[in-house]
Amino acid sequence: MESSVGWVEERNPAAFGSSSAGFRASTQPASASTAAYRWILAGRVQGVGFRPFAFRLARTLGICGYVQNQSGQVVIVGEGLSQVLMQFGHALLNEAPPLSRPRIVSCTEQSAVGWSEFDILASAPAADGDIHLPPDCFCCDDCLKELNDSRDRRFRYPFINCTQCGPRYTLIARLPYDRTNTTMAGFDMCANCRAEYEDPANRRFHAEPVACPACGPTLAFRMRGRRALHDSEAALGACIEQLAAGRIIAVKGVGGYHLLVDATNEDAVARLRERKHRPHKPMAVMFPVDGPWLDRCVALDAESKAALFDPVRTIVLAHRRPQSSLAPGTSPGLNEVGVMLPYSPLHHLLLQAFTKPLVATSANLSGEPVLTNATEVETRLAHVADCYLHHDRDIVRPADDSVVRVIAGKARPIRLGRGAAPIELTLPFSLSRPMLAVGSQMKNTVALAWRDRAVVSPHIGNLDSPRAVAVFEQVIADLQALYTVTPEAVACDMHPGFAGTRWAVASGLPVARILHHHAHASALAGEYPDVETWLTLTWDGVGLGEDRTLWGGEGFIGRPGHWRRVTSLRPFALPGGEKAAREPWRSAAGLCWEMGHPWRNDRYGLQFQAWQRRVNCPYTSAAGRLFDAAAALVGLLDEASYEGQGPMWLEAAAEGEVANAIPLPLARSAGGIWQLDWEPLVAVLADAMLPVRLRSAIFHTSLAHGLLTQAQAVRGDVGVHHVGLCGGVFQNRLLTEQAVALLRADGFEVHLPQRLPCNDAALAFGQLVEAGARQ
Amino acid sequence: MTDETHILLAHGNGGRLMRELIDAVFVPHLANPYLDVQADAATVPHGDGRLMLTTDAFTVQPLEFPGGDIGTLAVHGTVNDLAVAGAVPLYMTLSMVIEEGFEVSRLERIAMSIGRAARESGVAVVAGDTKVVRRGEGGGLYIAATGIGIRARDRQLGMREIQAGDRILVSGPVGDHGISVLLAREEFGLAGEVRSDCASVLGLTRALLPLPGLRFMRDPTRGGLAAVLNELCRASSLGVALHEAAIPIRPAVRSVCEMLGYDPLYLACEGRVVAVVAKQDVEAAMRAWRQLPEGQGAEVIGTVTAGRPYVTLQTIIGGERLLDELEDDPLPRIC
Repeated sequence: MESSVGWVEERNPAAFGSSSAGFRASTQPASASTAAYRWILAGRVQGVGFRPFAFRLARTLGICGYVQNQSGQVVIVGEGLSQVLMQFGHALLNEAPPLSRPRIVSCTEQSAVGWSEFDILASAPAADGDIHLPPDCFCCDDCLKELNDSRDRRFRYPFINCTQCGPRYTLIARLPYDRTNTTMAGFDMCANCRAEYEDPANRRFHAEPVACPACGPTLAFRMRGRRALHDSEAALGACIEQLAAGRIIAVKGVGGYHLLVDATNEDAVARLRERKHRPHKPMAVMFPVDGPWLDRCVALDAESKAALFDPVRTIVLAHRRPQSSLAPGTSPGLNEVGVMLPYSPLHHLLLQAFTKPLVATSANLSGEPVLTNATEVETRLAHVADCYLHHDRDIVRPADDSVVRVIAGKARPIRLGRGAAPIELTLPFSLSRPMLAVGSQMKNTVALAWRDRAVVSPHIGNLDSPRAVAVFEQVIADLQALYTVTPEAVACDMHPGFAGTRWAVASGLPVARILHHHAHASALAGEYPDVETWLTLTWDGVGLGEDRTLWGGEGFIGRPGHWRRVTSLRPFALPGGEKAAREPWRSAAGLCWEMGHPWRNDRYGLQFQAWQRRVNCPYTSAAGRLFDAAAALVGLLDEASYEGQGPMWLEAAAEGEVANAIPLPLARSAGGIWQLDWEPLVAVLADAMLPVRLRSAIFHTSLAHGLLTQAQAVRGDVGVHHVGLCGGVFQNRLLTEQAVALLRADGFEVHLPQRLPCNDAALAFGQLVEAGARQ
Repeated sequence: MTDETHILLAHGNGGRLMRELIDAVFVPHLANPYLDVQADAATVPHGDGRLMLTTDAFTVQPLEFPGGDIGTLAVHGTVNDLAVAGAVPLYMTLSMVIEEGFEVSRLERIAMSIGRAARESGVAVVAGDTKVVRRGEGGGLYIAATGIGIRARDRQLGMREIQAGDRILVSGPVGDHGISVLLAREEFGLAGEVRSDCASVLGLTRALLPLPGLRFMRDPTRGGLAAVLNELCRASSLGVALHEAAIPIRPAVRSVCEMLGYDPLYLACEGRVVAVVAKQDVEAAMRAWRQLPEGQGAEVIGTVTAGRPYVTLQTIIGGERLLDELEDDPLPRIC
């Protein structure tokens, strides 16, 4: 993902040269005559200070004309000397504001009408779906400087922002992006703010959320059972005081509330875990930008550091230093901790005052989208939070924090949320009709596509709660309304019980049902349109397969619309079905029983009888279940309190250990599929004479070699060169980096997801690519 | 109708597929003013207009299980469908489809159960039919039953009567029948630890009928509590909020479910009533039920809400989970 997670598209100066012939023609006889040009720019050009930038540029160069927002595009008309106009055109792309990603749609010469100066014209509404919705931004350096300048009128103002920073996605109710269409509509600008807002030369020219202490949003602090403090300074002071006392505070941010607690206070962290019924799931920690804490607590490589400081302000999974004074309870059982920097001025103020790291975990009930509303937080989290720090700038739709992890040399998204999404990708084809994709059941995102544009929503969550389904439906409606695109078809998962599938069927639109792992493979292929034939190994938890067994260790050859299953794992019956998702011992028992071995003791007698009769024991070939089984077999855990705990603990246990692989047999099944057999691993995993870390390492290394042998076998059959690795299992760095190294050393070209997560969050995009390829 | 071109086992489980099959295959050809595909029994005009009819087929395996057999099930199932519709069951007919080779002594045992259950429920079996199918063409014994009753009072009961704010009551622990039959069918060593709740619910329904705030009753058979409540949401366009902690489940049922990965809220009961009662009549309803031996375990388990038509389970740890309509097979979604 590099440092540009979420950017609409890379800046492409070539777009200028390859634009309309009208301009190129004029470059030939470089005359000193006056000319007029009309540029249309698309990409991310609204809400990012592009018009004031064009205005200042034109005035500096002495060009007359105008700039105007026309729905999603910016139209610029310039009159002046040809040479200067050319310089202007280049600068529009090459000197564009940092948050913008302009692309020239057209540049045509027209006859001059004699503009006397350069102006910014009022936005013209249009409705053609050529719109770019900006994500929420961090607090830029200029604003930060003012925030800490006692002479500035926004000194210590928690809602300072400008065209280069501040909230966007979470406060835009409608497009075009004008103040009246945001949740700032209710705040009347004071004279000072209005002057800045209307001054084309000002950094806050049309900064829609512009505000100051005189006219903008304010903070309110409330302790449970007491009256609220409405003075912002007093509220901040009280919040810091309570944090220092180890209390849990629900703090409203940009995309929703966080629960904050002193990250160096083990008792306070334990209290938060107990109240949230979350014994182990790692919680993100927000660090002060200045001071020794960050370096003292975590070790950051260059990639992680770049990701951490990126304007997206994502959470980065980073190695915790062993002697760190961070409470161990922030990420029990793991070597890593989720680290983030303050991203809004409010968070800057809090961290500057507190000077120590704070746990900043989403304020929600397990698996639900983050809460955004004061009343909801005070009622639904009454048993969790001691105090509340509210503000009165409404959040239209939630956005959880983004998460990245450096894997195979690059920061790759684990979750795309606030700051990074909605994210735009270009489809490798043009759709004949607009299409919606409703994604997966877990880690749900949705995606809307028209022509060759696909917009993927931020992380929504697991669609098993009413709130998650409500947000899912809201985001679907909002994306359509904001982009003025009405889908004429919908793509969903093959599983009939997914909330998305039910929604799709009830929508009345034509439905394309896409196999879970085809969608995974197609999501990756969609990121690399130049690859013609893939072998894509999709390893994840569980998805419904073509044969109605539970897939999750499958390899496919082909390309979107044309996948053929060629590899798999030896299937086994999963005792207790869905229950195995949270009870790794079930996967372990399933492997042992499959081999005719006992599992532990007869405490599981009833389950064993049910397994013998295959009562609620569906067959699975999911790699994720093998990781669960291994975690239970080495003795790390029998039951998981959060999704993925078994594999995560297993990876942490193995880290730093070098192990030899145990060769895993590969055999062709009756259906002609290369099945990798896990059986030789089971005895080693269960061998209590070997250290846990060695057994865990052997497991990872053996599976990495297993991936290589699968790829080699397929290459032997059909001569494939490009190997893709995707599915949630490849969030595991230890496995992924070993597999990548082995495959590359053997001559394969290996591709990993880079712009979208490798997990189910990519499924909506994959469904679009797969359904579109079949049209 | 559904995407399926052939009947699946799941078309018989009381969930979405069955509903779609009925709507697509039967309703278009059989529609008439009295056919009610949402109710357990239909009212047909006769005299003063209170005659009620129901019909049901019984295919349980095994035929005998702790707490009952296919005979008691046939009588109670038929009686209960009439009872929850507010009727007093009077007469029944039975058709027995017997597989060649079936033991006569076993048939007699089942006939005895039928007689006892009929006497307990106050119904007379007034006609019958016996067919024998070739060996291998039946599961030993199938029973088809029809019941006739008189609705006790001329009053409206049904899902359409339900209003936001009404309370949801269940007359006793759920899931007993489903687990009892599962343990017996699979011949697990534990058979006998859980007895089926198979019984007449006539006493329970009779106890509530005098309450003006009674809206609706149903016996949660196939698909369990979750199926009834989902149907209720669909028919009323109202939501249901269930309190997990309040739902009565026997420890033995809970532990078998936890071990085998079943959700007791989807398991069949054969002697329980789910009732929807106006808030002001909840206390009277609970008092009436708890005076009965079969109502000792009654609980108020939830509320009808004006929200979206979903069944929402408020979990013990304070979360919320959607209780979906039963899918065909309970395929894992989230492993």
